[in-house]
Amino acid sequence: MGLQPILKVTNVSHRFGSLLAVNNVSLYIETGEMVGLIGPNGAGKTTLFNIITGLYKPHSGRVVFKGEDITGWLPHKICRLGMSRTFQVTRAFNEMTVEDAVRVGAYNKSKEETVRAKVDDIVAFCELTDIRTRKCGDLGLAQLRKVELARALATDPELLLLDEAGAGLNPTELAAFVRMVRRINTERRVTLCAVEHVMQMVMGLCQRIVVLDSGEEIATGTPPRDQQQSARD
Amino acid sequence: MAQAAGPLWEEIVKRKQRSSKTVVMLVSLSLTLLLPLALGSNQYNMALATTVLMFAAVSTAWNIIGGIGRQLDLTAGAYLGLGAFTTGILLIRWNITPWLGMIVGGIVAAAFAALVGWPLFRFKVKEVWYALSSSALVEVLRVIFLMWDKIGGPVERYLPYYSFSLYHLRFSSYIPFYYLMLAMLLIALFVNYRIINVRLGYSLLALGEDEDAAEVLGVNAHACKMRALMIYAFLVGVIGGIYAYMYGFIHPNFFSVTMSIEVAILGIVGGIGITYGPLIAAVLLVSARELLRANLGGGMEGLYLVLYGTVLILIALFRPRGLATLLHRTSRRLTSH
Repeated sequence: MGLQPILKVTNVSHRFGSLLAVNNVSLYIETGEMVGLIGPNGAGKTTLFNIITGLYKPHSGRVVFKGEDITGWLPHKICRLGMSRTFQVTRAFNEMTVEDAVRVGAYNKSKEETVRAKVDDIVAFCELTDIRTRKCGDLGLAQLRKVELARALATDPELLLLDEAGAGLNPTELAAFVRMVRRINTERRVTLCAVEHVMQMVMGLCQRIVVLDSGEEIATGTPPRDQQQSARD
Repeated sequence: MAQAAGPLWEEIVKRKQRSSKTVVMLVSLSLTLLLPLALGSNQYNMALATTVLMFAAVSTAWNIIGGIGRQLDLTAGAYLGLGAFTTGILLIRWNITPWLGMIVGGIVAAAFAALVGWPLFRFKVKEVWYALSSSALVEVLRVIFLMWDKIGGPVERYLPYYSFSLYHLRFSSYIPFYYLMLAMLLIALFVNYRIINVRLGYSLLALGEDEDAAEVLGVNAHACKMRALMIYAFLVGVIGGIYAYMYGFIHPNFFSVTMSIEVAILGIVGGIGITYGPLIAAVLLVSARELLRANLGGGMEGLYLVLYGTVLILIALFRPRGLATLLHRTSRRLTSH
């Protein structure tokens, strides 16, 4: 295929006290692809994301991003290298306006002189123009999910991790959201990895799916063609 | 047509708000500049006005770490004392002019801030824990300076007296200090305004909302908090230098926990994160407190504190987001259509 692995996770384990949350998990993501990470509650998906983005230090194992060993790096350095994420429970900057929240992310790669243009670009791309001056605390869930996506996208990531970004959306909102996520992949050339419970989103979006259970990888494969097709329609 | 009218109208309202804001600012600035003409003959009133400005300047500086950075900081007394001692000792020992001493005092305060801030932010000490450790530092400094004979000690060290010397920053009037404190207040306001419009401000606000979320968006939490703390410490250090010369002596009691708490109260009561909030709180509360003390202090000692406390409780009940929101309310009503 000629694709390069952008992220390689090897034999990562993490425990909370006596609970082994992630057990010897390995994962690779190739440049440009959309990977789905599924599994029941407590399977360790979010913990794995926290390890990859630097919020947790793994007890063993390595995380290699763009050929660089980033195990134990601080989150902002990892972001600087080109990785960002959204959160399962939306973590909105309630007192900030939508454009200011996006601006926080935009500073990752933009200087003071260019940051406004970057914000305008992202706000337009994520269809936030009419709510850009509203406070995040006043927004509904569907809008908040978009804002989270926007501010992560503003950091100019090469790899974007989506942690149940579609949770709580109704079918109409979800369809619009999936369309936007796909555009991020195709138009902005961002590699995506999505933890998801909403099967419609996983099957519709992802080219490859990894299944985690009780902290271990139990399966990996491609979604059935017909499901992918029907979700796209 | 209707679509175009919306943003246009908003723009007009915004411009009106901006211009009325400018008018309010210019009027209050010129009144402040002219105040000594009215009070100048009464040195006691001048001292009060200068004290009000000093509290306004320190708590406006506090807004950088406490309001924008959302750290419940109680170290103002430490930087004030360090600035005062540095500036004072430089003049007493080596006859170095306080104009230079002030800057050195600010740098010493910022260096101390870096020293204490590094571990506090490294281990993510927050909220009450941050408040407790930071106020403890002030008391530790006070005790150190009380026992450190060469620099401090329990006896006041008086600065050389001159009735008018620019080099020694000694005057027989409070008026020059009034203008110096006013200058520091304006500088503190300007620094606040600068910060909220650049990366540091956006980063600090995001960190105050959700630290993890900010960090995965590329915000370096440790560096941002350190920078905010050091800028604040520098400003308060410089103010501390002026403070020492206004009173004409230095003493370890300048490292005051009470004062640190008061600065934070003004910042909170004024409205957390609102640039001019601490200023409004200082003008209203410090002058009210001093006037109450002056008028009631003789007959009923301590009564002014009861009244002052009552006012604080009332504000907490009816304006929990700060005194500055009183202005928000009215300006919104004036411009609503």
